[in-house]
Amino acid sequence: MQATIKMFGKLTEITSASSVMIDDVKDTDEVISILQQRYPGLMQLQYIIAVDKEIIHNNTILTDHSIIALLPPYSGG
Amino acid sequence: MNYMHSNKNIFIQGAISPEHIADSIAKHQSKYDIGAHGIFLGQVRGDNIGERKVAAIQYSSYEDMAMGKIGVVRETIFAKYPLICMHIYHSLGIVKSGEICLFVFTSSAHRKPAIEACEEMVELIKKEIPIWGKEIFEDDTHQWKKNK
Repeated sequence: MQATIKMFGKLTEITSASSVMIDDVKDTDEVISILQQRYPGLMQLQYIIAVDKEIIHNNTILTDHSIIALLPPYSGG
Repeated sequence: MNYMHSNKNIFIQGAISPEHIADSIAKHQSKYDIGAHGIFLGQVRGDNIGERKVAAIQYSSYEDMAMGKIGVVRETIFAKYPLICMHIYHSLGIVKSGEICLFVFTSSAHRKPAIEACEEMVELIKKEIPIWGKEIFEDDTHQWKKNK
């Protein structure tokens, strides 16, 4: 299934885009592994993962049209 | 009575003007159950980092997620403190050094809930809300802000 991955903060500099599409992925571990191959610079950066706007802590199975977001440490205020 | 509006957009494009803050205070003058306000204003510092000086911060957010999280955080604060109302504004886009980027405004019948809720809300915004600041230096280079 196809997944959309939104990028934020410093991560947008690694991908040169605010979102990335990946085809035929089943879970978040697979998404991260593909992204790390595509953008090796990601491995040096700190981030958490959200699926459909909820932060996840474990590998998560994706459903159709899941929106994944990679969130570097927040720095609002 | 409480005047909570949980789904209001908190984001303002650019700096938060002193006039906006004054208007917000004025709007509360007709609410006679209020006896105290807590106000926090975050201002962009013109930090010197090595040879470079911060000219502005460019803020961005995952707005869909931020709005949901703000709702949750608001509910936590309203459950904990006897507030009459609370307003939160955060800038997006460019805010120059010296300008205001965050405005948290709490009101209660007596001082302590307003002061304590305001402080806790500022901490929660920094910790829980997906917002990022990019510090733009006067020479057009940049670095991503880190919260302390």
